[in-house]
This record gives sequence, structure tokens and C-alpha cells, in this order.
Amino acid sequence: MTGVSDGAGETGELTFSRIHEASRELLFDCMTMPEHLAHFWGPAGTTAPLDGIVVELRPGGRFETTMVSDADGSTYTMRAVYVEVRRPDRLEWIEPGVEGGMRTTITFVDLRDGRTEVITHQTNVPAAYLNAEARAGFNTSLDRFDAYLATLI
Amino acid sequence: MVVVEDELSDELSRVFAALADPTRRAILERLAEGDATVNELAEPFAMSQQAVSKHLKVLERARLISRSRTAQSRPCALDPERLDRAAGWIARHQKIWADRHDRLEQHLAALRAKRNDA
Repeated sequence: MTGVSDGAGETGELTFSRIHEASRELLFDCMTMPEHLAHFWGPAGTTAPLDGIVVELRPGGRFETTMVSDADGSTYTMRAVYVEVRRPDRLEWIEPGVEGGMRTTITFVDLRDGRTEVITHQTNVPAAYLNAEARAGFNTSLDRFDAYLATLI
Repeated sequence: MVVVEDELSDELSRVFAALADPTRRAILERLAEGDATVNELAEPFAMSQQAVSKHLKVLERARLISRSRTAQSRPCALDPERLDRAAGWIARHQKIWADRHDRLEQHLAALRAKRNDA
């Protein structure tokens, strides 16, 4: 299940949601333990090797991952700082070096049937892209974006 | 790869800041329909030309619009390249999370299989 929120506030926010068949505790651990993160953190075409992951699981602690490109071995390091660490409900970090401060919040919602909804919010993303009405006006330049959204919703 | 260069990041910050204002978004929507002068843009917003000019400056600095230097009326035109890039940026972030959760799903399945074997 994937979605993009509509009509977000002035600053805008991007929401990504997925339901997994696992407990909140396990999913929280997956998002915060290097030995789990190494299995899935690097998006397609990359890997996030265990020795490139730093997790200091407390507010103010570092969360860093180095992603290595499968194609050419080039690397990109995400440098974040935890803001809130509340197992198993909520996890929040900021990346000070990205877009003047990108904030990511992950909420773990118990669906009470053995499944958990993992909701990721990223802020500092303009509402213009998320508001359907505004989007319609940008049709010339946002066609590709809309097509992409359609595949997600 | 998810490399975000500093220069690109600064440019996106300007684009996002410019888009954070509803009037500026409305101006862009109007320009998506065709070029317009400051006068034409000021009309539907019940705003002074001065106020509209301020918004146009922000949009111009973010390079979301361009303004003719030759014609006296200096009509404004939408410059879709930056919008394309910003939209692409969001699409990339969405894709990163989608990929990540696809892999997490596989990882969880592997954990379950291991537990069942034990």
C-alpha cells in the first residue's frame, strides 16, 4: 500500500506508507539495527554494507549509511541525526545537509492482525507537488511526475 | 544513485522556497496557460503591480520563470526545466522508499522462513 498525501500544509510533506506482516517491534528493529539495515536500506541498484552503517540510537545520536552503487562502486553517505527514538512507535531523524534540513519521521502503527503499517513522512517538500489542484495547472511540466504518482496510488 | 550535489541542492531549495507560497503557485499556473505581462498577472489576484513584481522576482531567482529583456512590457514565461528537476527529485525519493520497502519485505520473509526452519 503506497500513497502520497493530498493537500498538505504550506511547507508540504511527502508521505509513503507500506503494510508489512511483522510486529512493530521487529520493524522498528529493522529500521534501527545495522545487521537488519544492511539487508534492505540501499535502494535498487545499491547496497548498504554493514561496515558503512552507524547507528547511535538516542536523540542527538548519529544515523549514517553509506550506499554503494552496484554498477560502478561509487558511494553516497547519508548523514542524519536522530531527533526522536521511541520503540516501537516512532522514529525521527533530520539530515541537516539536505535541502536546508530534511526531516524524516517513521510511525509504526499496529493493525492488530499481526500486521504493521509503516508510515514515512518527509518534510521540506513543497505542497505544490502534492496538491491535486495545483498539480493540474502544471500539466506541461509535471506530466512525468503525475505518471509516476499514478503508478504509486 | 542518490547523489545530491550541493549545487543542485541549493537550486532545489530556492525552487521549493519559491513554490511554498500559494500566490506564486497561482502565478505559475497562470503562466502554464501562456506568457503574461505583470499587468495581466496582477489582475486576477487583486494585487498591486508592485506586490506581483516581488513574487516574480522570487520566481525568477529560482529560475522558474524567465522574462523577456527586449519587449517593453517584459512578458513572463514559465521555465519548466526547474520544475521538471524538482518533480524528478520527489519521484526519486518516492522510489527510494518503495525500493527500500520491497527489500524489507524480502528480508522479513527470509526472517520468517528461518524461524519456521528452526
